[in-house]
Amino acid sequence: MSSTEFLADELTEVQGVDVEAALDPIEADGTYRDSRECAALALTSGSTSLLLSPPTPRPKKG
Amino acid sequence: MEQSGTSTRLAGAVQGLTSELVSALRSGGPFRLAGSVRGADGPEAADGLALAAVRVVGADAALPSVLHRTPPEPDDLAVFSRAVHAYPPPSDASPTSVWSHWAMKRTLLRLDASLDGAAGHDPEPQAAWLDDASWQSLTHQLAVLAPLAVPAGDSAVARVARGRPVDVARGFVRAVRRRDWLQAAGAGRWLVLLDDVPPTLGLEAGLDFVAQMGCDDPRVALQIEAAHLMRAGVRV
Repeated sequence: MSSTEFLADELTEVQGVDVEAALDPIEADGTYRDSRECAALALTSGSTSLLLSPPTPRPKKG
Repeated sequence: MEQSGTSTRLAGAVQGLTSELVSALRSGGPFRLAGSVRGADGPEAADGLALAAVRVVGADAALPSVLHRTPPEPDDLAVFSRAVHAYPPPSDASPTSVWSHWAMKRTLLRLDASLDGAAGHDPEPQAAWLDDASWQSLTHQLAVLAPLAVPAGDSAVARVARGRPVDVARGFVRAVRRRDWLQAAGAGRWLVLLDDVPPTLGLEAGLDFVAQMGCDDPRVALQIEAAHLMRAGVRV
């Protein structure tokens, strides 16, 4: 195998791993809005009301 | 987590391809996949990174053809097909990878008249991993698999989504509140296709809001454009 072929194989292998990772991403870290922000958003978005609902419980730490 | 150089380049290629798809969806004009992948003087010239980007974008790489009912050119289908065959899911692949690959193969069969009746109608993968998924996890998985959310796109994943519209709606709101615009856009795209979505959700305003907040990311814009087109009644 030539060095070019080796590099090509290596690149393909890395991309295969990266492709799989891209196809199964973990959930992005979220930044919760506080209730005042959500109320303001709801007011500016017309009839939307669920943004005024109580916040989703955050996962407990520890 | 720090990304490898390859994954960074792949992410960039995905962003570039997605931007071109968004432009095609907005303009209604033809989308040339073969002309969008780097170095494509023909389908054989598409480099590995470009093909990998097509594989990551998945069935949405053909979305303009699907939604605008414009038949793809043979070399576009050739690029799409090369991505399908270059990156089959490995034996230990995640369900989302397996389903993404299945969706691409189904799209290929749908668009390539020359394959009509040909072998290759693979059975659907299992969707059992979604059966007991919490509404938060369900929404995340559905957003990742948003390319499956197309008109007349029946699948086990779509059937799970149809059975849990309120959970997907809750997930949409949660994603907005977490400022996860990509997940919100993907969930919103699914909601457009679902019955029994709570009217109090304000989906249309919510989609507009997500579009406004997440417009810097073409992956968000792609989901929003798809949702708007489907909501407007574009049908296959």
